[in-house]
Amino acid sequence: MKKFATAIMAGVAMSLALAAVAEAKDKVIGVSWSNFQEERWKTDEAAMKAAIEAAGDKYISADAQSSAAKQLTDVESLITQGANALIILSQDAAAIGPAVEKAVAEGIPVVGYDRLIENADAFYLTFDNKEVGRMQARAVFAAKPEGNYAFIKGSSADPNADFLFSGQMEVLKEAMDAGKIKNVGEAYTDGWLPANAQKNMEQILTANNNAVDAVVASNDGTAGGVVAALAAQGLAGTVPVSGQDGDHAALNRVALGTQTVSVWKDARDLGKAAGEIASALASGTAMDAVPGAVKWADGPNKVEMNAIFLKPVPITKDNLNVVIDAGWVAKDVVCQGVAAGSVAACN
Amino acid sequence: MRPSSLRAALAAAVLVLAAVPVLAEDAPVVPGFVEETAEAGIDSVYSGEWEFMVGGGAATFDCNDDGYPDMLLAGGAGPSRFYRNAGTRGGPLRFVAERSGLELDGVAGAYPLDVDGDGITDLVLLRVGENVAMRGQGECKFERANEAWGFDGGDAWSTAFAATWERGEQWPTLAVGNYIDRTQDAFPWGSCTDNWLHRPATSTTADRRRFAPPAALKPSFCSLSMLFTDWGRAGTPALRVSNDREYYKGGQEQLWRLEPGAPPTPYRAADGWKPLRIWGMGIAGTDLDGDGYPEYFLTSMADNKLQSLVKPAADESPRPTYADVAFARGVTAHRPYAGGEIKPSTAWHAQFEDVNNDGRMDLFVAKGNVSEMPDFAMKDPNNLLIQDRDGRFREVGEEAGVASFRTSRGAALADFNLDGLLDLVVVNRGDKAQLWRNVSRDTGRFVAVRLRQDGPNRDAAGAWIELRRGKAVSRREITVGGGHAGGQSGWIHFGLGQSETAELRVLWPGGEEGEWQPLDAGGFYIVERGKPPAPWQPR
Repeated sequence: MKKFATAIMAGVAMSLALAAVAEAKDKVIGVSWSNFQEERWKTDEAAMKAAIEAAGDKYISADAQSSAAKQLTDVESLITQGANALIILSQDAAAIGPAVEKAVAEGIPVVGYDRLIENADAFYLTFDNKEVGRMQARAVFAAKPEGNYAFIKGSSADPNADFLFSGQMEVLKEAMDAGKIKNVGEAYTDGWLPANAQKNMEQILTANNNAVDAVVASNDGTAGGVVAALAAQGLAGTVPVSGQDGDHAALNRVALGTQTVSVWKDARDLGKAAGEIASALASGTAMDAVPGAVKWADGPNKVEMNAIFLKPVPITKDNLNVVIDAGWVAKDVVCQGVAAGSVAACN
Repeated sequence: MRPSSLRAALAAAVLVLAAVPVLAEDAPVVPGFVEETAEAGIDSVYSGEWEFMVGGGAATFDCNDDGYPDMLLAGGAGPSRFYRNAGTRGGPLRFVAERSGLELDGVAGAYPLDVDGDGITDLVLLRVGENVAMRGQGECKFERANEAWGFDGGDAWSTAFAATWERGEQWPTLAVGNYIDRTQDAFPWGSCTDNWLHRPATSTTADRRRFAPPAALKPSFCSLSMLFTDWGRAGTPALRVSNDREYYKGGQEQLWRLEPGAPPTPYRAADGWKPLRIWGMGIAGTDLDGDGYPEYFLTSMADNKLQSLVKPAADESPRPTYADVAFARGVTAHRPYAGGEIKPSTAWHAQFEDVNNDGRMDLFVAKGNVSEMPDFAMKDPNNLLIQDRDGRFREVGEEAGVASFRTSRGAALADFNLDGLLDLVVVNRGDKAQLWRNVSRDTGRFVAVRLRQDGPNRDAAGAWIELRRGKAVSRREITVGGGHAGGQSGWIHFGLGQSETAELRVLWPGGEEGEWQPLDAGGFYIVERGKPPAPWQPR
């Protein structure tokens, strides 16, 4: 496996599949889903399965149905069924430990999928949340390089909220230090709820006599709350607002001009990468030899892990065609209410 | 009883239990409940904004000495409601709303106990603001007793309560659990406030029948349930504390050792205590596996936990090490079983009782979203899980008629019409409380008992009641605390299956073993220390 790994070290993870076909045959990849009835995972699964089968391996799976206790028995069952590598979307990061320890004890590599499993023996695959924050800030900064900024952060209970915020700050720090950008209010959004984001935005507007020039909101739900608060003051469309997730309503706001950017994380990329990484690990690739793997220790307990952070795509008015062409959302949904000729993707 | 002889007895009990054959009579009956809220005269809402997102307790107790359980339902921002039981034996449920003195606002929870040992039930009201100890005056009248008893009610967001009588003391020790710093509404995370331990005054000159100023139980992690329980059967209850991981930083579930005259100390990893982080909301304890040690059901979001003590070696003292057997027993109750939502549940009050009198403990769990938590189910029915012969539990909430989709919090199972079947009251956030009468058919038989002793701890908190049918022994610990924001005092209910008689003995606080005493099925008994059980007849 070493030879293979060296050969493609320079490449990106995406190229792994082709190379892996020659090496990995008939391995079993066990996937433990936290709650497969949630619609979004169907997309991930299709991409994951395709990548695993393209490598000549077999996909098996289990659905924990939102139970952390069931997930522990699911993982044991996947191991019993002969899994050579595991992909785990954890229901509860604080409770998955024993399952990972059992797999590791049996020499079975584990990929923590999308949600962090902070264990030195697990691989971590997710989108780069800091980069999401950077992309949000960049898009807003491009539209409003000076002025009063408000920050509508995510849920304080979610570690991702702070990753996003630190990415945003990275981009804006220079302008803030120079006094061009002023932070006139920031607030966590309890439960990521749009209603809470709206309430926080209303308070920030009131405290500043509506003198807010730009809003860095951490996802599309909170952006929706922000836009509602701005609309109530007649400010929607004049104040740039960021978001994340490619929510259909948010993409429509991007087309309408009330939201500046929605950073999109294509689940197909994540699923495909997970399948490829698991197949490589199953056939003996060391975790630190997975192409594109980096060392990372920014989790709550600062455990050093091997990780890959995929790059998301910022969707603005100028590239709305990307989400439409990918089949993520229908054109008529994105373009509803958009004035003819104002957005290229809607023409 | 000395711990060593207790352990030997427990070991023997386990051997005996293992040999008990499964009887055909034990086929579980699905209970039936009929809602009688309006007809019974119950009209109470647990109201309020975010400071009342937790709490909403139901307390049941007998304040006019007629044997019928009366109740107090927390009102949140509005006044609490007291209801005197006006029912008749076996009849429909009937209550009368009365002025009792308990109708304070800001009440999140309520626990009945006889603080001053006068034989009349008192209550401690947990509030957003000052907690208030209410002394029972008889005939369901209550008066504030904070000053008379030296009870410092503080000014916090109080959400949990437990009480014990420490060895040699003339006065109870109260534990109060507190939640978030309510002034930090913009950023409440990590702002957990101190829990309090109110122990008896220690001054040699002053009256010791009052409380000393409360001591902080550091560290505290936003507690939503507390229970004094003799987890290891050493004779001294310890304080189990269930904590909400949504708001603490670096916290976990807790167990505090409380030896007379010594400061409380938490059990640690070196003692065998394993860190567990859950959204702890409620505690229910009972000995499910017949080994003499209680299992603890802990409510949370998504999975609920059922902790079973890892058995000590024959010659060793038990260590507080628990295994989670919720999945094996079928009580994770992590997702709605009705209503079509696939998001996980949010659980609050939990209570073990035998609702079909088959001799096996069943489990009720109140459910409801915090407010609009997007990752959790909005339509989240309450659970009624009945225990099958093999020890696994089965959801029957829908068949039994108690699958309410309201946003539930506190609850109580109690025999309101003294027909030998446990009825159910549930408090709902922002909605009317609900009351169901148990109208199950083809159930087993029952007995109900109340303990009495002289001295400060009149209702014998800390006692264990053992009930023997043939060779099978069921055990119940008498506790004050647990559940979510509400407690029950009064009759202790045992299902007997088809047995027409049973034997009962009491292991009294302090260790004295009562004699085995015969009881006939279908009756209520007052068991006074040192005396044979006295049959009691309801009106």
